[in-house]
Amino acid sequence: MNSTDPSTSALLIVGHGSTVNPDSAAPSLVHAAAIRRRRIFGQVACAFWKEEPGMRDWPFLFDESIRDVYVVPNFISEGYFTRTVIPRELEMDGAPGAVTPRPDTGQRWHYCEPVGNHPSMTELLLRRAREVAPSVPERETSLLIVGHGTGLNDNSAVAAKEQAARIGAMGQYARVLSTYMEEPPLIADWAKLTDTPNVVVVPFFISDGLHSYQDIPVLLGIESEITASASERLRQGEVFMQNPRHLHGRNLYYASAIGTEAQFADVIVEQAGAGSV
Amino acid sequence: MIIGQIIVRESANGGGELRHRDDLKCADGELTLHTDPEDAVGLALYDDAGAYRPLKTAPNLRHGWRMVLADGAAARLALDSFYPGRRGAFAAFQAGRLHPTPLRETLGRQTGMYRVTQKITEEQIDALVGSFCRSDGGCLRTILWKRDTAGAAPSSLLPSEKFDPTHDQSGQTREQFASFVPLLCQEACNLLVAKARAVVKGKSSSGKE
Repeated sequence: MNSTDPSTSALLIVGHGSTVNPDSAAPSLVHAAAIRRRRIFGQVACAFWKEEPGMRDWPFLFDESIRDVYVVPNFISEGYFTRTVIPRELEMDGAPGAVTPRPDTGQRWHYCEPVGNHPSMTELLLRRAREVAPSVPERETSLLIVGHGTGLNDNSAVAAKEQAARIGAMGQYARVLSTYMEEPPLIADWAKLTDTPNVVVVPFFISDGLHSYQDIPVLLGIESEITASASERLRQGEVFMQNPRHLHGRNLYYASAIGTEAQFADVIVEQAGAGSV
Repeated sequence: MIIGQIIVRESANGGGELRHRDDLKCADGELTLHTDPEDAVGLALYDDAGAYRPLKTAPNLRHGWRMVLADGAAARLALDSFYPGRRGAFAAFQAGRLHPTPLRETLGRQTGMYRVTQKITEEQIDALVGSFCRSDGGCLRTILWKRDTAGAAPSSLLPSEKFDPTHDQSGQTREQFASFVPLLCQEACNLLVAKARAVVKGKSSSGKE
């Protein structure tokens, strides 16, 4: 987008969303508002798989003054959604970097890499780990990166595995593992997978939604059953997870989802090709 | 101007005041004032009882606020948060560029967990659309899509006005306002597709949506 006029360029952040609570879409909406305030795009909009506007509303999201639209999937990994669902629903060429012309308006729609592919993910995961357990010695700590894992597309687990390998190679933590909700190594087996007195778990997820806020705490044993959503507990005056929890003779620290980090707005802008601002 | 449950009193520069139609006669001081169009996202999030509103065109917009906006860009941003995509859909309709998608076509392209929606029966569609999309308690959109490529009506349970873009789905009078923007529905939304899955699976709700 560097060679085009910012006022005629638009950003579309595509998120998953939820019909059950607002937490899934919240980070995308917050980052969109933050990017809008910077005035580096003529328009900034979101579209969702499960919420409104739906992706099929793409023809109605931008004014005719917009010439180029940069579509950034706010997804952690390349996989079923980024390769199949989003291109199909937006009626776009789904290859990263592909440009789809829109004959009706003359607009050019650019398909960008998902946020989870950005090189800063490693540093953001490490920052989350340090924030949630600021005083624990890393040599006596295992760091578990949790991804979704699914049978629909093998790529969904790759991102978490790559991040765990990168952080492990730094040699800071006693052990770094990628774990999953639905495929081995299972996050539910965290106590068997680690042998250190401290265990830090960072969900490699976009939002504090159903999976990271409600499902994983049950799998970890922090909660005995699924709790109210993050937004509902916040409305009731409750704080995010209290750390550490003492389980299986260990200190267990559980972080907030990485996608709620304010710096994600920078990542979205950079994935759109706008460069650092 | 009226759009859905919102009254827009426009100023010369395209800005103006937005408030709930039911709050038309409220004194300004009775309503919470907002001047940032970004606040519309939060105002559209929950209904009066504090329940989450996944369907922005449901007839349950929160009361008790008014939004005074500086210019047309701010007003457009706010309206696009209250009723995502609807302003643009109406513009496309007026320009002859709105192309509705039949429900069977929408269901036919689903993959993954929603592929099963292709098994929904005609009777199930009739009941589901008649209930979920009804203007009274369901959704204020005007349905432009057909059930299939043969042009079958989406549901026999909905009145003919539900498919008429000149009809105000809120059932309220609009004579005193200069213009009216219908909330056009060119394609079944994700929420209806999710409900179709629940119907086929024999559940009242699919839970993890």
